Amino acid sequence: MHAFAKDIAKNLKPGDILGLIGELGAGKTTFVKGLAKALGIKSRVVSPTFVIFKPYDVSNKKFEHFVHVDAYRVEGEELQDVGIEDYFEDGSVLAIEWADKIKKILPNGRTKWIRFSLGKNENERIVEF
Amino acid sequence: MKILGIETSCDETALAIVETKGKDFIVKKDLVYSQIPIHQKFGGVVPEVAARAHVEKMPELLKRLGTKTGAGIDAIAVVNGPGLVTSLRVGVELGKTLSELWNKPLIAINHIEAHILANWLNPKNQIKFPALALVVSGGHTELILMKKAGNYKKIGQTLDDAAGEAFDKVAKIFNIGYPGGPAIAKWAEKGKADAIDFPRPLINKPNFDFSFSGLKTAVLYEVKRNKAKAKDKKYIADVCASFQEAAVDALVAKTLKAAKKHNVKTIMLAGGVSANKWLRTELKLGAKKFLPDVGIVLPDIKYTGDNAAMVAIAGIHHAKKKNFIKWEKIDVDPNLSLG
Repeated sequence: MHAFAKDIAKNLKPGDILGLIGELGAGKTTFVKGLAKALGIKSRVVSPTFVIFKPYDVSNKKFEHFVHVDAYRVEGEELQDVGIEDYFEDGSVLAIEWADKIKKILPNGRTKWIRFSLGKNENERIVEF
Repeated sequence: MKILGIETSCDETALAIVETKGKDFIVKKDLVYSQIPIHQKFGGVVPEVAARAHVEKMPELLKRLGTKTGAGIDAIAVVNGPGLVTSLRVGVELGKTLSELWNKPLIAINHIEAHILANWLNPKNQIKFPALALVVSGGHTELILMKKAGNYKKIGQTLDDAAGEAFDKVAKIFNIGYPGGPAIAKWAEKGKADAIDFPRPLINKPNFDFSFSGLKTAVLYEVKRNKAKAKDKKYIADVCASFQEAAVDALVAKTLKAAKKHNVKTIMLAGGVSANKWLRTELKLGAKKFLPDVGIVLPDIKYTGDNAAMVAIAGIHHAKKKNFIKWEKIDVDPNLSLG
């Protein structure tokens, strides 16, 4: 998962939005940890389910903020009141778990979807880009 | 000393006034939005995290506070982090406004510290230093060492999901209600804790970190393997009991290990999950067996979740040390860390 994340991280551009979809345990947060590591983010990346989103400063010169969003416990438009949309316009890169729940408020055409699924074995995960 | 506490770091909107009386603390007002029957929604509703919701709830709470001038209040304590930035802002803006309007000093409070200090709200609780606090909630799972009052060092935390979050997500698998903690605890009463052997994450690693995403996934796989039993009440009860035991085992084991290593005199629980009966019982039993000289202190159930009384008491502690901040300087910090 981390190798895949590293590849994705290398090609990230300002304003990219990654929509991560898949059931519980499919590897969405693990993928984001890999992304963060590849982006040189030193802080621990934990599940933002309760805080909804966590912004991180990025020291590379391409974009300033990497925002880890988790739409698991919000309903559609609620996310708008949480200030997420500011990050859509300032060149930040966002990785949104359960992004399918908030399709309506995502800027048109910018989201790259990645689907995670549980494999047959317990340590297996299937990722579709 | 009388302090007004303000809490809006996540879903709860809360205000409280706590007064000192000798060595004790008297909670004069304790208002948490979820207690007020303004809206009654059915069946496990997703909490309103929108800042707009805090803004809507605050005027009602302010009215119930019973003061328009802040007369008698010595300072205002407000949580400025960690949490959800737009929710935090509502509380902080209120704190700033009242500080300026009432001409009272302002204190910035760390939400995690407030949870730990909730243990001081019960005058019967005897906390001796060095002390260890297991802060465990929907959003946090950390071990904080306190060498003395006001001195905090984070010595362990979750690598992924918070314990409370794991409870919520497992409860969601069966759709047994929100918040998941009380729902699972209730179902667990009718199930066997040794029915299924779930992993105790990181239990053998020599550090004081936790991990609950693997346990969550283990439960998921178990349920997938037994689709036919998914609606069987006995099965659900067994899964809940077994999951609860695995989670509590991991929490208690690491806490006792950390307590021993750092030679603490008191272990405290803090945060929403500290209301879990199984956790409270197992911690007491474990300590009695392995660390009989260490005292176990548990917060009152009503102060385990997010509330402002704990913020006010944290405010008293900081006011005594004159840790004030100018309202022009206070800012929210969603990633604020303790220790």
